[in-house]
Amino acid sequence: MTRKIRLTVNGTARTVEIPTYRTLLDCLRNDLGLIGSKEGCGVGVCGACTVLLDGKMISSCIALAVSADGHEVTTVEGLAGDERLHPVQQAFIDAGGFQCGICTPGQVVSAKALLDAIPNPSDVEIRDWMLGNLCRCTGYYKIIESIQTAAQRSRA
Amino acid sequence: MNAFEYAAPRTLDEALAVLREQGDEARVIAGGTALVTMMRQRLVRPSYLVSLREVSGLGRIEAANGDVRIGALVTHREVETSSLVRERFPVLAETFRRVASVRIRNMATVGGALAHADPNQDPPVTLIVLGARVEIRGAAGGREVPVEDFFRDYYESALEPGEVVTGVVVPRRPAASGAAYVKFLPRTADDYATVAVAATVSLQPDGQRCREARIALGSVGVTPLRARAAEALLAGHPFGADLLRSAGESIRNAVDPLSDHRGSAAYKREMASVMAGRALTQAWEEARAAARETR
Amino acid sequence: MDVPSVAKCVPGVEGVETVDAKAYRGNLRVQVGPIRLALHGTMTVDEQDRAAWRARMRAEANDGRVGGGIRARMSLTLAPGDGGTRLRIDTDLTILGRIGEFGQPVIKKKADALLEEFARNLGSRLQQGG
Repeated sequence: MTRKIRLTVNGTARTVEIPTYRTLLDCLRNDLGLIGSKEGCGVGVCGACTVLLDGKMISSCIALAVSADGHEVTTVEGLAGDERLHPVQQAFIDAGGFQCGICTPGQVVSAKALLDAIPNPSDVEIRDWMLGNLCRCTGYYKIIESIQTAAQRSRA
Repeated sequence: MNAFEYAAPRTLDEALAVLREQGDEARVIAGGTALVTMMRQRLVRPSYLVSLREVSGLGRIEAANGDVRIGALVTHREVETSSLVRERFPVLAETFRRVASVRIRNMATVGGALAHADPNQDPPVTLIVLGARVEIRGAAGGREVPVEDFFRDYYESALEPGEVVTGVVVPRRPAASGAAYVKFLPRTADDYATVAVAATVSLQPDGQRCREARIALGSVGVTPLRARAAEALLAGHPFGADLLRSAGESIRNAVDPLSDHRGSAAYKREMASVMAGRALTQAWEEARAAARETR
Repeated sequence: MDVPSVAKCVPGVEGVETVDAKAYRGNLRVQVGPIRLALHGTMTVDEQDRAAWRARMRAEANDGRVGGGIRARMSLTLAPGDGGTRLRIDTDLTILGRIGEFGQPVIKKKADALLEEFARNLGSRLQQGG
């Protein structure tokens, strides 16, 4: 069975007809061409597939695309402005918050959601929020530093 | 995943009607974290999914006569951050906060978690000691089941075919009482517990002796467990190390954990006893502080 | 010992067919909450001592859809015991593949429950002289 769904993706209205079993992640990547979000574990644990649904972080690999019908999705592709990268993205570059990059879209989207919710997060708050975004390369120090940098810059 | 029909009705009656029509082959989906994961692994293959996402009236947290009612579609994150829940039942907000990660808590619903009936979950353990009741609706009407009677077996709840959870009601707490939830997880912070214990203690007017204690455990069997024998040992007595030891011993004998990658049955049995001691100590201290304040 | 009727003492067993003198084919349905397993496989009788009432068998069954299966070795003995006859069942069960990944402990618990019920059913059958 297929369904036609209408959703707003990164501010743009999109309509797509997909099988009901299509996950939101597969829909974003295969039907909408947004390959920034990655599939890591496939069970919602690693965070590589993190997107925002109505502003809230979710694991798109275990969300059905049909459940996003009528809702707003923000992916990593939707963070930058016309002229500039989002402060979180710029901070990850400047502070060296990634190595291989596979977890980075998920890290960046989660970090953006964190700073939207808590503009001045403590170290503990950063770790608690980000605990669901796994990274095999960095050891997390540079990720936390990137988030702190982004927070400082946004406050300035 | 297998192909399936999908409906997202706007009212509960419509949802119940579809469930009745489709029978065995249909499953309810709310947040989908548990169901979609199992479907992706081909462990369940429903040919029809009835989504409750668009059903109105199931997403509220509200106070009603001193009790707090949490609708089935309320997410874990919403319970965790609710000022009403934090004020009336801080232990419950804290328990929901311990579930998995923020992402999962944004998706997973209170009703869906209860219906999933995994004995390793956090919320049922605390809901049991708070004396909470599950609200159920089916074609034949509504009924309530105490959370402690809601779980039958691994992944099996008291829901009859065609029934859905519509909410959970948490009754007001007595004044001189305390509560605690202890989640022992030696692996990662977003995992299920190796063993979890929730305890409430309410005190007699003298502010010293236990009037009633309630103890529940998670990850110690095929369902959450209420440790009534241990509770009976505590009633009427003041707090003390010997008392805790005998309660711990009783709990060691009451649990029947499964060996898995989170711990062997023997280890879980030992930790159940240790964590129960910690939960009771915390709850008792909170109760004594509350009793002093009400003087 | 009539294997098909012994097999029917396992709750969930259906459709036992004889393949040859020592081998039988059948299905076993097991449910854990919403998860339904349909195991298809064979059971082979390795040893049967009618005089001593002892039997050893092997079973292999797979669930084609979920992906996984079970391998079991079982021995049954009847021996005089206190006040009657004791039926003893020794089982060595391995759970493979996806069924195993998903819930070794759950499936094991289920298997224990099945075996208990099997023992009860077999015990009462024997008492009735079946």
